[in-house]
Amino acid sequence: MARKRAVLLQDDSIDAHAEWRRDYEQQLPHDKAVTNRSGIEIKPLYTPNDWNDASYVGDLGYPGQPPMTRGIYATMHRGRTWSQRQLIGLGTPLDYNQRLKRLIDAGTSAISLIPCNSVYRGYDIDEVDPLLVGTCGTTVNTIDDMDVCFRGINIGRISTAMNDPLPFTLLALLLAVAKRRGVSWDHVTGTSNQSDYISHFVANHMFFRLALPASRRLLVDHIAFCNQWVPNWNPLSVVGQHMQQAGATPAQAMAFTLCTAIQYAEDCINRDMDPETFLPRFTFFFDIAISFFEEIAKFRAGRRLWQKIVRQRFGVTNSKAWRFKFHAQTSGVDLTRQQPLNNIARVTTQAMAGIFGGLQSLHTDAYDEVLSTPTEAAAQIAISTQNILRDEAHLTDVIDPLAGSYYVETLTNQMEQKIEALIGQIDAAGGMFKAVEQGIVQNMVGESAREFAHQVETGEQVIVGVNAFQAEEDGSVRQPLERPEPHRIQNQLDQLRSFKAARDQSKVQSALDKLTAAANSDDINVFAEVVDAAIAGVTHGEIVACLRREMGAGEPLISI
Amino acid sequence: MTDVHKPTTRPIKVLVTKIGLDGHDRGSRVVAAHLRDAGMEVVYTPPWQAIDAVVKLAMEEDVDVIGLSCLATDHLLVPKLMRALRDSGLAHIKVVVGGIVPDEDEAALLDAGVSRIFHPGTSLDDITETITDLAGLSLAPNERP
Amino acid sequence: MNGTARDDTARLIQRLVDGQRAALARAITHIESGAGLAPRILGAIQSAIDKARVIGFTGPPGVGKSTLINAVIRELRKRKKSVAVAAVDPSSPISGGSILGDRVRMGEHGSDEGVFIRSISSRGHLGGLSATTAQVIDLMDAAGWDVILIETVGAGQSEVEIAQIADVSIVVCAPGLGDDVQALKAGILEIADVLVVNKADHPLAEQTRKQLTAMLALRRAERREVPVLSTVATSGHGVDRLVEVIEDQYRDTVGHTQVRGPIKRFRYLIANAAGRQLQERLTTSAAGAMHEMCARVSRGELSVDSAARVLLDDLLK
Repeated sequence: MARKRAVLLQDDSIDAHAEWRRDYEQQLPHDKAVTNRSGIEIKPLYTPNDWNDASYVGDLGYPGQPPMTRGIYATMHRGRTWSQRQLIGLGTPLDYNQRLKRLIDAGTSAISLIPCNSVYRGYDIDEVDPLLVGTCGTTVNTIDDMDVCFRGINIGRISTAMNDPLPFTLLALLLAVAKRRGVSWDHVTGTSNQSDYISHFVANHMFFRLALPASRRLLVDHIAFCNQWVPNWNPLSVVGQHMQQAGATPAQAMAFTLCTAIQYAEDCINRDMDPETFLPRFTFFFDIAISFFEEIAKFRAGRRLWQKIVRQRFGVTNSKAWRFKFHAQTSGVDLTRQQPLNNIARVTTQAMAGIFGGLQSLHTDAYDEVLSTPTEAAAQIAISTQNILRDEAHLTDVIDPLAGSYYVETLTNQMEQKIEALIGQIDAAGGMFKAVEQGIVQNMVGESAREFAHQVETGEQVIVGVNAFQAEEDGSVRQPLERPEPHRIQNQLDQLRSFKAARDQSKVQSALDKLTAAANSDDINVFAEVVDAAIAGVTHGEIVACLRREMGAGEPLISI
Repeated sequence: MTDVHKPTTRPIKVLVTKIGLDGHDRGSRVVAAHLRDAGMEVVYTPPWQAIDAVVKLAMEEDVDVIGLSCLATDHLLVPKLMRALRDSGLAHIKVVVGGIVPDEDEAALLDAGVSRIFHPGTSLDDITETITDLAGLSLAPNERP
Repeated sequence: MNGTARDDTARLIQRLVDGQRAALARAITHIESGAGLAPRILGAIQSAIDKARVIGFTGPPGVGKSTLINAVIRELRKRKKSVAVAAVDPSSPISGGSILGDRVRMGEHGSDEGVFIRSISSRGHLGGLSATTAQVIDLMDAAGWDVILIETVGAGQSEVEIAQIADVSIVVCAPGLGDDVQALKAGILEIADVLVVNKADHPLAEQTRKQLTAMLALRRAERREVPVLSTVATSGHGVDRLVEVIEDQYRDTVGHTQVRGPIKRFRYLIANAAGRQLQERLTTSAAGAMHEMCARVSRGELSVDSAARVLLDDLLK
């Protein structure tokens, strides 16, 4: 029936369409070709010739049902909107604790912990230049530090995202605090946000510490441990965001992320884990660029492809595993230093694309991120942006509201094809691990980054305030910098020294010995030893240093 | 101090590097590629270089200009690098900084001897021209010795 | 050149010979630019050359040459040798510019005063080196470095030039060669004093090692044996053995041919210079004769080869 109606529509409108085409070409004789960031040509008009209702069942279906295009839950945002997960981290654990309490009061429903860059790199604060300590994240090195971070907060009742990469010392420290407080690990919920080491190597972010083969092993250890002992923790977040921030196009970012998830699933299966059990806990994390419709299509296509991969490639029947659960963050790369308040408009547009794309969790960037570490006032506007979109603009009243748009559906299909072709390329290279080992993915991402820079340079891609619409600025919107006071950092260094002196040294040594043994054996779960070490009072830096020594340090894989 | 001035008929040599703790290198890679395409010889390093390593490298490679890419708060280390370069007799090497440098910190970097700070949104051609001027040489890619 | 400049140059040369790294670095810049002070510097240092051992590393892209060199440096430092590295990268044929990224993988020696690393752009020169690499090595030698490691561009088969300036040439391969086998057959295998199969922890490594050994057995029947070694550059596995074998090969080569490194380099440099000068004279002083030869070849009176012979005979008379 649907098909018949569509055909009729086409017959009736053939003449009208030709007439429009003629008028269009007459009035716009020098129309320039438009291409989106993923390289898909965008036409001026989409009609039932591009997509029509005949494809409804195959392409769309209903929310919570395959092919999942319309969303992973039957109720979607109408039932539950999204987690407002704001990244915070500044200064000492006490600074963090105070800001955390204020954010919880302001309505934040899930929290995250951003450690200091020294922590990201795998060091304790006494191993790096004190000038940099605590300037862009929290200085968490010990079980005591973690205890202070969550002082007055019931860690069994709040979802936490930990933003450190493997060997996941922050989760280990959190579990150590839970044990100290008598909170069952069954009640510890949240996500290991930076568990996707492949994305770290591709984007060459600071988040890698161990060599690729060691990373590969530790991730599977971590997943196995969490599945057994911390059942409500998501041990894996597959991160497309890093790749897109590093220059990947939206289609590339989605494709490489799906390939990465395939790789991790295969690695887990090779360790005799059951995909019916571990796949439902896979989560994803994406960038939302300002390329509005392209981003919406990216998410819809990705959702469709994931259920296909899970069902066809892995033959998984547990429908929970078909759900493409993702957190998304508005893209910092799109923000400009020039006329920084414009960034509020950019973040709003990006957030809308993510919401229409069906996200489960959202972080909106502060407008001043491009000027310095975000200020508290700017972070507040970022949260309000989400509240306005949800409660004032009513974006969540209807599920997948853009479905059926000729353009959006056509673009979703085209993005899907593009992504599938890229997945085929990576498959042909022997999978994601091999492709990254050989630098294939890094080359493609670097090429895209240079291409985009070229478009901005030539003005082909307009950036308001940068290569067009420039204006004089008075600088009055700049917020004062927030830097930790030197004496508090000194205090923190003193505390670390006393912590190290006061702990039971024999327990520390024995924990480190066990960690060393695990690293050199194939049969012992290394992450289990990381947790035991945290409990025994071994510091973050000591744990990472031990594994780096025993398992090999990660070297940057650079290509230009 | 190196006694003899450099020959002038040769490509400009630039070191593109990152000090401190941040690892985001999209910007430095794009800039490095652009400088190469402008005919320069670009020594490229991974992030996380120690200050003494950068000094040794700049000396061994005899570069004309050092380009530092700074995110997070790594720019706070730049004055230390400038001092180390001076102490090693490399005051003749010009240093430019690109990335996120808050306005409040700009003066401290310029006072320390940084020649120019490129904020986000700077055009690549602007960067190339500035480096060319600083190197005190004309770009003559086809005029190879 | 005025008096002060001459004094400055003399001081630069003195500081270079005294082993000051900044002076070596600046002198290399002069040599690379080819003009101006280069002849004077080179002339002044000749008597200081003769000590360093020069080891060349070549092989297809992606086999891990830089990482292997990094590991070899580590091993040589353990043996208290000072090490200078000349790492050649290709230049862009369009802009002439280049990305010099080889030292990316030699980062662990970043603050070791016993290691000197210089990146070199090929500046359009083919054959795996730059036009002045041999002179750069002379400078490093004169500056007192014990061992000089050279990394070629790594573009593949045509990189045989290294054999003419290195005391020991090492050809690095990776497991699962595929098309690279053809490249090896076509050229660089010939020049190997040592063959290394890097990434030896790869499942195909042993098979590749056997393939290479078989290929060598066919081609090198009349010559001395070329050892085939396995290394894992990332972990350092097999690198101590490699350094020992390099030492053996050095003793063998020098003992066998009596041609020590500098002589070898001079031979290469002189031949290159002679070729250049000849070409120059053909296009300048012999321009008239050249014109005549062209006419005769086009009339079919002479072949190209015969015309060249007549021209050279005249020129060198």
